[in-house]
Amino acid sequence: MKRCNRMMVSTLGVAMGLALSAGAAAAQDCTTKIGAVLPTSVDWGRPIAETAQFVVDQVNEAGGVAGCNVEMVLRDSQVDPKVGVDAAKALVDLDGVQVLLGAVSSGVSMPILTSVTVPGNVLQMSCCSSSTAFTKLAEEGKTKGLFFRTFATTGVQAAVGAKVAKDQGYKSVAILYKNDDWGQDLQNLIAKDFEALGITVTSATAINDGQPSYRAEVTSALSGNPDALYLGLYPNEGTAAVREWLSLGGTQNMIMANSLKSDEFRDNVGLQYLGKAFGTDTASPRVASADSFVAAYEAKFGGAPNGPGLANSYDATMIALLAMEAAGKDATGDQIAAQVARVTDPAGTPVTADAAGFAAARDVLAGGGNVMYQGATGNVRFDVNGDVSAPAVVWKFAEESVEEVEYMSLTDVDDFIASLK
Amino acid sequence: MIGLVSYLVFFAIVASILAIAVLGLNLQWGNTGLFNGGVVAFFGAGAYGTLILGGGPQDGQLGGFGLFYPLALLGGMATAGLLAWGVGILTLRLRHDYLAISTFGIAVAFENLMRNAQWLGGGAQGLRGFDRPLRAALGDGFLYNILFLLCVLVLLVLTYRFLETLVASPFGRQLRAIREDETAARSLGKTPARIRLTAFVTGSVIMGLAGGLYGTFYAFVSPQDILPTLTFQIWAMLIVGGAGNNKGAVLGAFLIWGAWTASGWALSRFAPIEAQLYTGSIQYILIGLVIVGMLLWRPQGLLPERLVVSQLGRTKT
Amino acid sequence: MIQHLLDGILVGAVLSLGAAGLTMVMHMLRFANFSHAELLSIGAYSALVFDALFKGISPVLAAQIGLLSMTGALALSMVFSMVITGISAVIFDKLIFRRVREKGEELSMVFASFGLALIIRNAIGLIFGLQTKLYSQDIVFATVLSRDPLVLVKPDQLATLGITLAIILLLHLILSRTIFGYALRAVAENPSLAQVNGINLQRMIVVVWVLGGGLAALAGVFYGLNNQITPVIGRDLVLPIFAATIVGGIGSIYGALLGGFVVGTAANLAVMVLPSGYSPSMPFLIIIAVLLIRPNGLFGEERT
Repeated sequence: MKRCNRMMVSTLGVAMGLALSAGAAAAQDCTTKIGAVLPTSVDWGRPIAETAQFVVDQVNEAGGVAGCNVEMVLRDSQVDPKVGVDAAKALVDLDGVQVLLGAVSSGVSMPILTSVTVPGNVLQMSCCSSSTAFTKLAEEGKTKGLFFRTFATTGVQAAVGAKVAKDQGYKSVAILYKNDDWGQDLQNLIAKDFEALGITVTSATAINDGQPSYRAEVTSALSGNPDALYLGLYPNEGTAAVREWLSLGGTQNMIMANSLKSDEFRDNVGLQYLGKAFGTDTASPRVASADSFVAAYEAKFGGAPNGPGLANSYDATMIALLAMEAAGKDATGDQIAAQVARVTDPAGTPVTADAAGFAAARDVLAGGGNVMYQGATGNVRFDVNGDVSAPAVVWKFAEESVEEVEYMSLTDVDDFIASLK
Repeated sequence: MIGLVSYLVFFAIVASILAIAVLGLNLQWGNTGLFNGGVVAFFGAGAYGTLILGGGPQDGQLGGFGLFYPLALLGGMATAGLLAWGVGILTLRLRHDYLAISTFGIAVAFENLMRNAQWLGGGAQGLRGFDRPLRAALGDGFLYNILFLLCVLVLLVLTYRFLETLVASPFGRQLRAIREDETAARSLGKTPARIRLTAFVTGSVIMGLAGGLYGTFYAFVSPQDILPTLTFQIWAMLIVGGAGNNKGAVLGAFLIWGAWTASGWALSRFAPIEAQLYTGSIQYILIGLVIVGMLLWRPQGLLPERLVVSQLGRTKT
Repeated sequence: MIQHLLDGILVGAVLSLGAAGLTMVMHMLRFANFSHAELLSIGAYSALVFDALFKGISPVLAAQIGLLSMTGALALSMVFSMVITGISAVIFDKLIFRRVREKGEELSMVFASFGLALIIRNAIGLIFGLQTKLYSQDIVFATVLSRDPLVLVKPDQLATLGITLAIILLLHLILSRTIFGYALRAVAENPSLAQVNGINLQRMIVVVWVLGGGLAALAGVFYGLNNQITPVIGRDLVLPIFAATIVGGIGSIYGALLGGFVVGTAANLAVMVLPSGYSPSMPFLIIIAVLLIRPNGLFGEERT
């Protein structure tokens, strides 16, 4: 009996190996290009591009898309809209890409959408553009179903952040937020949520990029004597602001948005001061496959996939490639966009976020079935506007990376948001 | 092939829009000697002005006038002009490097205003809800871009002709006079302050035109578009092309914008895979080297100013 | 209010050091050097390298000095960093500014300095990476000077202020009491006449760059000590330093000191009046205000 099983397993193994290598052999004959316009000259932008390339490498390892090798052509947006738009146009017109990953800032993604990808019928998948303007644009029908973002709406972050404050019993909170569209949005939403819960917002101070010192802003946040500090910041200015806050005697009660889930932030502030710092984020699925994603990432990059936008970038790239696989060879952008629903179908066959998952998905799709991609940010499901909502998680920093404190399913999150109205 | 043409048309639109702004700067610096460090403020005023006046209604912020497009564009230009008039009155009498820093500061303040005043321009989210003129009739594709390019080129040529006439006119002579020797000009009864202000405002209105076209083309503007980097780019175009020469200004615009975009494209095409993540930084280094190299080789620019001898009533070549 | 004033002076100390170097360069070489702030970056990063080196060589040096977060290794590194930065400044002048000076006019030098700043900033980013670095990850807690009104200061900042004042005083004494100082000022006023009197112009130019570079390195290290080290230190500090220089008046060392305090304080006081989103504009509004009243800065003189 055992020998039979062993033989079966080894036969299966050989068969799979052959299938994979056959796929790999076929993939070397042709190349499909996808475009990426990402801010590689900014510190947090480079890892986002690295993660996207990681996905491409994994997919090529699994045999490529529709029998062809995938090549990601990367352009730097320089966080300058006209440079980003020109790069996108070059990718679409000169490289002929049908899928564009990008950009990160909404100020760059929006003009790319209006002047390049929508007129060019190209799928645009953004990991990190948070502006609500995209939702409005989609509602007006101007995105033609071509725009998706794997960035959970800021409303969820805000609501969960407010819930943490309530659960911890804080009566007053000071807010420090990054002065860009994401931060302004977050601050607007969370201030309303705090109010709805009866928590006083003692001050909401904008933190501008690139200032020599945040002393003044931190001092003014301190003056309200809040129970806790809410941080809607990125690691760079977050480190500066929090170090200043702590050295001036600010409370260690902190609530952080997912942007601060970064090893750099933890190391530069010091784990000893982050004992009462809780962060919010979208949740990864409660399955072992999520661990294999983290393991593969750590093996490749030597560190956990913490850091703003990394998990989102992974999912954006993988979903785009899955949709390309579903659409078949020589598909155009709108055809690929139409397939996104097939690969993020909640009733479909679950596949994991790695090379094996991609191979499994290919088989399911070839058989005409649908796939549910279990991504690094969760079971990604796009609504009709290309937005994503996800279950939430509350986390804390730990020795190695982060540990989860609480998990809220999508229904929990929706219910809580409804209760705030 | 069609892809290449489509890209070149797109490129030409942006380069021409920037060229109009460079022409405006040339009037201020090349002809009048005013070191305007806040180019982006007037460019931005034109962009925001045009989009606010011509766009659809926005909740919670200014907008929704829905003006007929040419009027909206003129409105944007007028906004830039008004801003320039105010700034000019305050700062034009300063020494030129102080003028540069002050105008730079005005530009930073303008960007801060648009970033924070959510009721005015949408804050960091930017201003959308603007439909490009004739979009319903012509769609969004290649045909639209070609027609847009033609319109922009017409405006570029008109601006060029206007400025050439201005420079050859008595007003142009006044500009050169106060640039070369203010005391002598004053002794002849000219009022340098008023002449400078006129030149400053005119140049800024032209920058506002460029800004309005820019906002129109992308159908969107946000504080990301009005960062100081644009001022630097416009100046680089003028320096490389040749300050004081309108042809040089246009040439500089196409060359620098071409170098900027081509360097990005070339790095992504030819750099090895391992270096791809660093191409952003490498591109900036290349641009820095181009600027420094240009200044070491030909600081007066590719097409230097042609000195005009008006006494005999004809240009001396 | 007192806290804000105090903060302004403490933050402004770094700007004063940077402005002192810039004001000398601008006065002597007559151009607005937008790459000066990149020298702060070079200073901060060189100190980082030397600091790691010295800590590795002798653990004794890794001990912190008193209440400060500065270690013996860092103090020693500061000196080396000043030398390196001074040499870099001289090299940049020889390679770029001297040649542009010969061929072009002031605007060309300003633009060349922009180009140079881009190159330095991105080269540092390529070599060291874009991540934030710190000299010491320990957070030093502020001492409470008074409880009501609440006034807090960090020992690091007091040390920065103290050293800045000492250096500025030293610089001023050198410039006004020594022959060498007279020679520098003579060259700044009238290069040809100074040369007629036997002053070696090239040597003086080198000295100015070394001094400017050294001051910038010091400012960079203090900035890194009190904040953090990133490749964009230059980009973030160039305008406040310019503001400080101009407010104080080009060519005046005491003006640079005061200018730094004014700019630092303005940024801090602004938060009391305007939403913090407008903080970046404050230095400029101050400049415009000062220039409207005194068109050559507080201590500057009409330039020939």
